[in-house]
Amino acid sequence: MNRIVRIFKESCRVMGGNRLQVFIMMLGVAVGVTSLTMMICVSKGAYEQVMDTVNKQGPNLLQVRPGTDKQTGLSSGSREVVSLVEEDVDAILQHIGNIRAVSPVKDRKEIEVKYGAKFTLSRIFGVKPVWAQIRDFGPSKGEFISDEDVSFATRVCLVGQTVKKNLFGDTDPIGQTIQIKNVPFTVKGELQGKGISSAGRDRDDRIVIPITTYFRRLFRDVYLTQIVITIADISKMDETVEDVRALLRERHTIAPEEPDDFAMRTPQDLIDLASEASISLVNLLTGIAGFSLLVAGIVIMNIMLASISARRNEIGIRRAVGAKRSDILIQVMMECFLISIMGGMFGTILGYGGSIALSSLKVAASKVTPLAVAASIVSCSIISLVFGLYPARKASNQSPVDALRA
Amino acid sequence: MIKVKNIEKTYRKGSVSTPVLRCVNLAINRGEYVAIMGTSGTGKSTLMNILGCLDKPTSGMFEFDGVDVSKLDDDTLSTLRNKKFGFVFQVFFLLERTTALDNVLLPLIYADKYPTDAIQRAKKALARVGLEDRTKYLANELSGGQQQRVAIARALINDPDVILADEPTGNLDSDSTSEVLEIFNRLHKEGRTIVVVTHDREVAVQAHRILELRDGKLFENDARAKLEN
Repeated sequence: MNRIVRIFKESCRVMGGNRLQVFIMMLGVAVGVTSLTMMICVSKGAYEQVMDTVNKQGPNLLQVRPGTDKQTGLSSGSREVVSLVEEDVDAILQHIGNIRAVSPVKDRKEIEVKYGAKFTLSRIFGVKPVWAQIRDFGPSKGEFISDEDVSFATRVCLVGQTVKKNLFGDTDPIGQTIQIKNVPFTVKGELQGKGISSAGRDRDDRIVIPITTYFRRLFRDVYLTQIVITIADISKMDETVEDVRALLRERHTIAPEEPDDFAMRTPQDLIDLASEASISLVNLLTGIAGFSLLVAGIVIMNIMLASISARRNEIGIRRAVGAKRSDILIQVMMECFLISIMGGMFGTILGYGGSIALSSLKVAASKVTPLAVAASIVSCSIISLVFGLYPARKASNQSPVDALRA
Repeated sequence: MIKVKNIEKTYRKGSVSTPVLRCVNLAINRGEYVAIMGTSGTGKSTLMNILGCLDKPTSGMFEFDGVDVSKLDDDTLSTLRNKKFGFVFQVFFLLERTTALDNVLLPLIYADKYPTDAIQRAKKALARVGLEDRTKYLANELSGGQQQRVAIARALINDPDVILADEPTGNLDSDSTSEVLEIFNRLHKEGRTIVVVTHDREVAVQAHRILELRDGKLFENDARAKLEN
């Protein structure tokens, strides 16, 4: 039997005899690794959700919003930032070549909606029929709004799955009449279920109506919250973005030295933003996880030092019967390593459990990834090496006669 | 086999130095049974620690089988202890919460080669000290006499050249003392070299050669005569 294997068995035997100490040290590591695992799963989950959104939207979506990134556009009395109007949409369609589809979007949240005695607050979207293709948000049942609906500003709507559940339960909503701000609307269809957005918003809690109906029948307003555009040739995305920018600047009579009163976002911007957010999240959580692992390491080092002190006789006996300094060093390091790895495994399981719980409770998106196992093995090995070395050296440096005299 | 020339040992604590051994000379041949006597604090244990390569003298020369031990490095000393010496201490020094068998096996863990028949050897060693029925007992479940016999079995497992015993009966009742001394006599008859450090006359008279440490110096000729008077 190899000497290292014999020492490994001794480490296991000694740990078996000091179960409480081992458990406390393991717990310290487990807490650190749990946070590390959850951090990795949550940041991975958040990033994948954004990528999923981008993939669903397609790589050729261009979004134009009023205001700059710092929100310095005009204000329409409320806090809402305004600058985009329906005429901008028409102009884009007329003057920009590389465009497949374009739709104005106006939305407002927490609008009261009633069906009989039932009541809910929902987000109302005013759009054109082409919006359904641009956002891949067509009807799952019934029909989407038509060009005629837009031309005549008819009072028709499509309800999202959450609205359907809140107002109709199991009843078929198509053909029913609901009251949006006390204005009657006929339900023309149900929207596809989309779930929770990467921003944590319920995408099914919405009602879609024709944009003209929104402005003429519900709210006296002209300003849009968004213009969504599908680019025809994605390789010319940058040029098209610049063309749209130039056109809107000209239409909004913005002087050359002034900033845009609108902001444009391409899928790449969204990916960049998600990466940035993901990096910030990773930095923050790595800090927290790193700190807890540092604490775990200090716990291990302190308990090991106390244990070494209490085990001086044992070390003396081993040295007397022939253990070399390196044998003692290896034994103590092995004990630290085993404790760290066992704590790490326990922590990884807890972390995975926690991540799955966060996902199922819809607190945060998280993705169970094998990366977390690798990260916990690496961090546990580092903990055991860094924080085990000092107690191990202290143990091995004792002379046999001093250790026996203790 | 053991040759000690002008060994001195002085303990230093800050600016205070305490000489414990002064110019000790000693030669022990293979197969001898030697007792080193002396009152408390005369340096008996210090001398035994030096003879067992657990400690180094401040000055002087210690030869074991013709090798100058004072020139050996720490690892070689560990190997020497493992192969050549078997230790028996007053307080037994067994590993707690560890079975008698595992305690006896301990020196083999640090041997260069782990024998394939290690368990059989350990059981045999325990049988030699009359503990064949106590192999699975934890050290703390055994009586003082039994613990010391486990320690003797541990000292024997590597078939050492010398058994070094430091007050081996100091913590034992008279029955256990007799058992331990009986084992030493048997081992001596088998040809093993035994060095016992003791202040107990009953233990010392078992040896064939008695030395006495007084004020850090070793005296031989009059020790047995003194005991017999």
